Amino acid sequence: MALRNRVAGLGLDDDAALVRHPAGLLRLADAGPATDLARDSVVAVCCYQPARFIAELLGLDGQVAGLLLLAPALPPAAVAAMMTQAGASVLRTDRDDLADVDLQPPTPQGPGKAGLSRGGETTWLMTTSGTTGIPKIVRHNLASLTRSVRPAKAPLPRWGLVYEPSRFAGLQVVLQALIGGGELIAPDPSGDIGERLRYLAANGCTHLSATPTLWRKLLMLPEAALLAPQQVTLGGEIADAGILRALTARYPAARVTHIYASTEAGVGFSVKDGLPGMPASYLRDGVGGVRLRVADGELWIKPPGDDSSRRAAHISVDDEGYLRTGDLVREDSGRLFFVGRDSSTINIGGTKVHPEAVEAIVNAHPMVAACQVSSRPNPLVGSLLTLAVAPHDADMDAALFKQSVKDWCRERLPREAQPATIKMVGSITETAAGKVSRAG
Amino acid sequence: MTDTVPNAANVEALREKIRAVFNEMWAEDHDTPPPPLSADTVLLETGFDSMGFAVFVARLDDDLGYDPFSDSDEAYYPSTFGEFVDFYQKAASH
Repeated sequence: MALRNRVAGLGLDDDAALVRHPAGLLRLADAGPATDLARDSVVAVCCYQPARFIAELLGLDGQVAGLLLLAPALPPAAVAAMMTQAGASVLRTDRDDLADVDLQPPTPQGPGKAGLSRGGETTWLMTTSGTTGIPKIVRHNLASLTRSVRPAKAPLPRWGLVYEPSRFAGLQVVLQALIGGGELIAPDPSGDIGERLRYLAANGCTHLSATPTLWRKLLMLPEAALLAPQQVTLGGEIADAGILRALTARYPAARVTHIYASTEAGVGFSVKDGLPGMPASYLRDGVGGVRLRVADGELWIKPPGDDSSRRAAHISVDDEGYLRTGDLVREDSGRLFFVGRDSSTINIGGTKVHPEAVEAIVNAHPMVAACQVSSRPNPLVGSLLTLAVAPHDADMDAALFKQSVKDWCRERLPREAQPATIKMVGSITETAAGKVSRAG
Repeated sequence: MTDTVPNAANVEALREKIRAVFNEMWAEDHDTPPPPLSADTVLLETGFDSMGFAVFVARLDDDLGYDPFSDSDEAYYPSTFGEFVDFYQKAASH
């Protein structure tokens, strides 16, 4: 059933607000079905304002073959490239800078269209996050995305939206509010977090979902005292004991839940006991229909049903349909704790960074002979990057060299991928295979 | 004065050390002078975001040799510069 019909099925009054935002209210009647598009079209949606984005989802789901959800920060060239990759011929946007994006004529056998469903159900094409890797398209449908949505009980929740809604975590909040019942409070995304918190508090936000990094930041702001949440949800990173305890202490009336989700695997589940990690019994019993196993310290998960068409192409899968998550876990006293990512990615404040990609950027610096990026644990954003870098000229002034490398990185890398600390070294140790050693 | 009462000179030295690291980080990213830090300055309102704050704590760990956010069992997130210095002072005296 299409999103619009599922929302209508809640039996809301016609004038009930779905989304409350600074420019007004979004009601179901404001977002009629898009009937002007061919049923086989793939439509890209790239909106800065969350309310506009949600109105597009309501209008388009069930009307077109595919929806390509794009982050509003994506540069125009990347929007065009992702659309070509997905076979999208229509762009719905509130951005002024996308007017010149070249729309391709519909390609019936385009690469992205091959896997679209025939039964009138819309395929949701999402992109994986990550700052240095090229986004990959992952196929979902409304049923797979709403597997964890639960009907809300009265009094209905008012979900605050601080996530970007085209991403998996943000979309989960949007769909829970729309289909589970309740109202979504969507502050202007251009405001700083203090302004957004004031907007959420003024509009009676009762439920809020954010990354541990954002929650830590929020707790350090005076506006945190304005909120009185009943539900506090964390996701996107490891929720450690410190932040869980701090949230429980600050918001004693709230239920504190953390979510484990993998966009690539198209699966997620929540841990509701307010403790870090998850019960080791999940390995035996599964959780919410999801099966788990640990191999060589790494978590593998098996989504319920046959989801083979939905996972990203680069995901490893074993003989029994378990998908590799890249998340390392450790069992201790009846609990499974997350301890980080495998060496191929580092999670920094909820953003996955590929150290090799950062090394490639640094190595392109004209004064750099070799470099090595590694991660160091950080209590506020999970991990930070450290860079050891060797100049061609060993007599180089260290301060000048480091500042030059720092500026180079700032111009070429997103914030999370910029090394936090830079050390000038004489040489870089390489492994026998000629790869930079990433041990430790 | 007992061992558990922070020595006023030590507190002042720590405050200046923290201020110096803040100013150093500020200078790397700005051409304007750093904002004055008084006891009730909210650190996240000085232009620091989560990443800036995280790097600040990492640099202090390198300089001071400890990180109270990681070392302490207490779940505490200081908001103002004064609370931040107190948090580091408490960790230093343990």
